[in-house]
Amino acid sequence: MDFSTITSDLLSGFLENLKLFGLTLAFSLPLGLLLSFCSMSKIPPIRWLAKTFVWIIRGTPLMLQLFIVFFVPGIVFDAPLKTRFTAALIAFVINYSAYFSEIYRGGIESIPVGQHEAGMVLGMTRKQIFFKVVLMQVVKKIIPPMSNEIITLVKDTSLARVIAVAEIIMVADRFTARGMIWPLFYTGVFFLLFNGILTLLFGAIEKKLDYYKV
Amino acid sequence: MKKILAVLLVAALLLSFAACSSKKTEETTKAEETTAAAESDLAYIQGKGEMVIGITIFEPMDYYDDNKELTGFEADFAKAVCEKLGVKAKFQEISWEAKETELSGKSIDCIWNGLTITPERQETMSISSPYMNNKQVIVTKKENVQSFAKPGALDGKTVVAEKESAGEEIVADEQYADFFGKATYVAVQDMKSALMEVKAGTADAAVIDYVTYLGTLGVNSDYKDLAFVDKSFADEQYGVAFRQGSDVTAKVNEIIEQFLTDGTLKQIATKYNLVQQLVVK
Repeated sequence: MDFSTITSDLLSGFLENLKLFGLTLAFSLPLGLLLSFCSMSKIPPIRWLAKTFVWIIRGTPLMLQLFIVFFVPGIVFDAPLKTRFTAALIAFVINYSAYFSEIYRGGIESIPVGQHEAGMVLGMTRKQIFFKVVLMQVVKKIIPPMSNEIITLVKDTSLARVIAVAEIIMVADRFTARGMIWPLFYTGVFFLLFNGILTLLFGAIEKKLDYYKV
Repeated sequence: MKKILAVLLVAALLLSFAACSSKKTEETTKAEETTAAAESDLAYIQGKGEMVIGITIFEPMDYYDDNKELTGFEADFAKAVCEKLGVKAKFQEISWEAKETELSGKSIDCIWNGLTITPERQETMSISSPYMNNKQVIVTKKENVQSFAKPGALDGKTVVAEKESAGEEIVADEQYADFFGKATYVAVQDMKSALMEVKAGTADAAVIDYVTYLGTLGVNSDYKDLAFVDKSFADEQYGVAFRQGSDVTAKVNEIIEQFLTDGTLKQIATKYNLVQQLVVK
């Protein structure tokens, strides 16, 4: 068990984290937008439903949600889920859509009503106002809170081990069981490096959008 | 009340899953399969042709060898039993604290991983006859080994054990009050954490499985400065856990009996240096 074997073992575990991270983002970014529209809907039942959903998802631990998604089909409906990764992905997508939806809502509602009114005066449709006037301003405004949430997501993926998705910390645990402690702490380097890259990336995006002062 | 709340929460979550329709149909077909075999767990397992065995990775029971193959005493033993049952052994690493939930959720069919037989566990799961003896030992820094063997030496010290484990029961047992009665007890996540506490000095002693302790002493172990106190507590035994009311247990008991008498288990135990721990028939 030398350093390079352990590094490659941990790396294969970290790829699982990255897969979960990437897929969660791909699904929850659009879903979150949809959910934010629902929670700003003019139709009260849709609004209440969306708000209750966000309340439940943000109000309960992600770890509990992982347990519910993975175990409830088997225990209550006698139809056990076969893939742990899919269960983890479903739980993460649901959880992060709820958080993202609130960030989107904050961004959209921060655009002054005057801009909507101005658009209407100019005879633009609601769709046009949203896509041509509001959206780009929203994107710029939500980059900092989004990057915060996305970096949290990278670290949250390690929670998937509670339903035995073989992510990096679970892999490190195998070494701990043999009496080697350092691989567990070494996993931090993987997270740090990846989040370092993300931080630079978000910095660059923010800078790129900086020409556009509101 | 808790149940109603749980069901309500679940219902709310499931509503949101309705969107994932492809997933749903997959589940429905599975549900049909399982209802057909609901009466017999054995028929259910033989029907799908594989037994999903819940394990955690620890030497010498279940671990990966240099070729990344799963090996170990329990792995070999489980494979041999599955062969007799005419099914494939499929090993699934689980999180130990979720083992009962995994079992009743049918994501695994048995727990086969040095599971200590306790009355509490027998109430919630169907456990096979014992095949291996185990004991709980106090593990501490080498310099304390001598002194900690005497009652009273742990007074005011911090003792850790895995929560809900056999070690925890020993610490709470009246019988050993002269050992642990005046010690500060802290329940930790698992035996790995218990050892780490002792290594880091945040605890003075850990009460853990002897077999698990042996497994942490590999070539590159960080625990070379730890040792166990030469006083063993309440002997206990390992068994395989199946779902409550499962008819697989009786069948596996027959096979274990056979393996103990015909030397199959002895052969496997020799390979992993565990012959002394084996139940003698």
